[in-house]
Amino acid sequence: MNKEKVVFSFFMVLALTLNFGFYVGEVANPAHHNVYELFAVVTVNLIATILKFGDRSQMGAMLLATGLVALVQLISASLVWTFATQINGTGLTPDVMSTIVALSGGAMVANIISVVLLMIETAMMRH
Amino acid sequence: MNVVTSLILRQMRTPFIVLILGYSITILGMVLTPGIDDNGNPHHLSFFDAIYFISFTATTIGFGEIPYEFTEAQKMWVLITIYITVVSWFYAVGKILSLAQDPAFKEATKRNSFSRSLNNIHETLVLICGFGETGHALVHSLTGRNIRAVVIENDNDIIQTMPLLDTPKVVPGILGDARDPEQLLMAGLQHKYCAAVIAVTSSDETNLKVAITSKLLNPNICVICRSEINEYEENMFSFGTDFVINPFDTFANIFSMAMHSPSLHLLYDWLTGVSNADLTNPVCIEEGHWIICGFGRFGQALYKHLNKHDIPVTIIDPSEERREDFLSKSENKNNDFILGTGFDAHTLTLAGVENSVGIISGTNNDSNNLSIIMTARDINKDLFVVGRQNKVANHKLFVATNADIIMQPSEIIARKIRTLLTAPLMIAFLNKARHQDPEWANIAVSRLMGILGESLPNIWTIYVNPDDAKALTQVLKLGRVIRVGNLLQDPRAREKKIKSVALLLKRSNKLLLMPTDDIAIKEGDQLLYCGTPDAERSMKWTLNDIHSLNYIMTYEDTPDSYVWRKLHMLMKKNERRNRARARQQKNLKKLKK
Repeated sequence: MNKEKVVFSFFMVLALTLNFGFYVGEVANPAHHNVYELFAVVTVNLIATILKFGDRSQMGAMLLATGLVALVQLISASLVWTFATQINGTGLTPDVMSTIVALSGGAMVANIISVVLLMIETAMMRH
Repeated sequence: MNVVTSLILRQMRTPFIVLILGYSITILGMVLTPGIDDNGNPHHLSFFDAIYFISFTATTIGFGEIPYEFTEAQKMWVLITIYITVVSWFYAVGKILSLAQDPAFKEATKRNSFSRSLNNIHETLVLICGFGETGHALVHSLTGRNIRAVVIENDNDIIQTMPLLDTPKVVPGILGDARDPEQLLMAGLQHKYCAAVIAVTSSDETNLKVAITSKLLNPNICVICRSEINEYEENMFSFGTDFVINPFDTFANIFSMAMHSPSLHLLYDWLTGVSNADLTNPVCIEEGHWIICGFGRFGQALYKHLNKHDIPVTIIDPSEERREDFLSKSENKNNDFILGTGFDAHTLTLAGVENSVGIISGTNNDSNNLSIIMTARDINKDLFVVGRQNKVANHKLFVATNADIIMQPSEIIARKIRTLLTAPLMIAFLNKARHQDPEWANIAVSRLMGILGESLPNIWTIYVNPDDAKALTQVLKLGRVIRVGNLLQDPRAREKKIKSVALLLKRSNKLLLMPTDDIAIKEGDQLLYCGTPDAERSMKWTLNDIHSLNYIMTYEDTPDSYVWRKLHMLMKKNERRNRARARQQKNLKKLKK
């Protein structure tokens, strides 16, 4: 058993599940999308990405790339949230909410790719 | 990704994760802890406010409690927050600092910056293995001639001083063992512009290994080796080494040249010296009895030359083994071998220093050599003295003894390699010149003297091909005749001559010494010139600029732009028409008469 692999897989899968949890629900309804969940997704994704820093294998580089994509999407989503509630003061209108959820949906696709890559890597290792 | 970034990233993984965990826990806590606003209503910090607050708290900036004054519960959490975040920052910063101090990391950054500076070189490059005295002399003279140098050296102290070198261009240096192929590759053995590998370490074995590695991994490269032991020399040649330089044999050759033709020696001295140095004076060596002190590799090489020309020699050396070996050979029967060191007057008198013409102090110890010179000069003031200088630092002392010739192994090797790299034709020139009669050398010397004035000349080679002489080949293709002398005309005033002399013309395999001005140049020729730096610039101008060449050949400045060219042609046409008309009228007048 490889401890590094276990830790990374844990964070990666957790990022995907949290992301999914935030994503499901009516697109424009703020009640279906929890702000704490978004915060958790960003944090877990950050950790998962940093765990791939300095990994010089091809797979490591791919995982770093998908992790960075997910991060960009999630951070933009939280920036939109902050803008709407704190700076513009428009509040979470259906418009804003659907933008946030769309961005997190994109991040979820990146996270799915990460997990698929992880599965391929695991399947390729026969011991 | 290069080694350094991946090292940083791998080392910083844990500190980053600690920071993120610390931040996220404290931020979450700030949001969850209940507070009250200024009206006493319950209030929770938003994520934005919490991130803002934690950011300035963690970095110990501390703007205060926002947006409302904290409740006791919030203050509790802030206390915990401060310790978690500040400590994790200290941990991260400490980790970065300790990484920067790590010797492995320092080595990696050095290698990284070395390979970066190697990649930035886009001109001819020479890899020098060993940065001792020879390496030093070479680096200075090569960079002075616009050849870049890279150094690999296994002494860390020497590498440390490399950034302080005073050279026109930066010389990248790397700490490494030249015997290791991997390190040679790292130092640029297969670099696109690497033209030559020069092995001048103090060990013949290392030099041999460098020669083998270079020839196997980059067969097109020119390999030049220093060697002081004959077996290694042969071994190096068998691996395809292009040039093997033995400082003692080289000096013995120069010495016999000086003995038989002072002018030739002078020519050699001028044409292979560092340009811009002062012109040297000829040395005159009389024939007669000679004394050699020290019968090592240097003494033996010189003895061979003296003995070949039947010059009586007495040898002084403390080794009995050498003496027996010497006396057992039949060709040595006319010469004496005295056991002793040579720096005491008694031994020298025994060797007959009063009636000798010259003495060679050739031990491998500078103090001994100096004292031999001083003692011998005391006894016989008119003695011709050849001193072997082993350490560069002692140069001033040898100059102070007024020795007629100072032999400095590192200087001799550097001089030969410099000539090989910057003017390969010069070796051919000197070899051919050696077979001319002494009168030829006298004439050559006086010709050079008339042109050069006071300082040593620049040497340059002209390759008549489209890359190096664009205008010249273009004109030659049109069938025009350009002579050797034409290139010596000044492109600013064609009736004047630039200060330069043609030394050698190489056409396929034929060599022509001092080609005369009327020889027509053909494509593919190689020409060796010497002259002032100014003359070199002027000649390069003539070779590559079609207008300068036209001006030299025709006295005309041809226009460049389209409109002017048309106008020029029109004017010429008119001129020709007018001339034809005038001729016709003349003919008509004649007819009328």
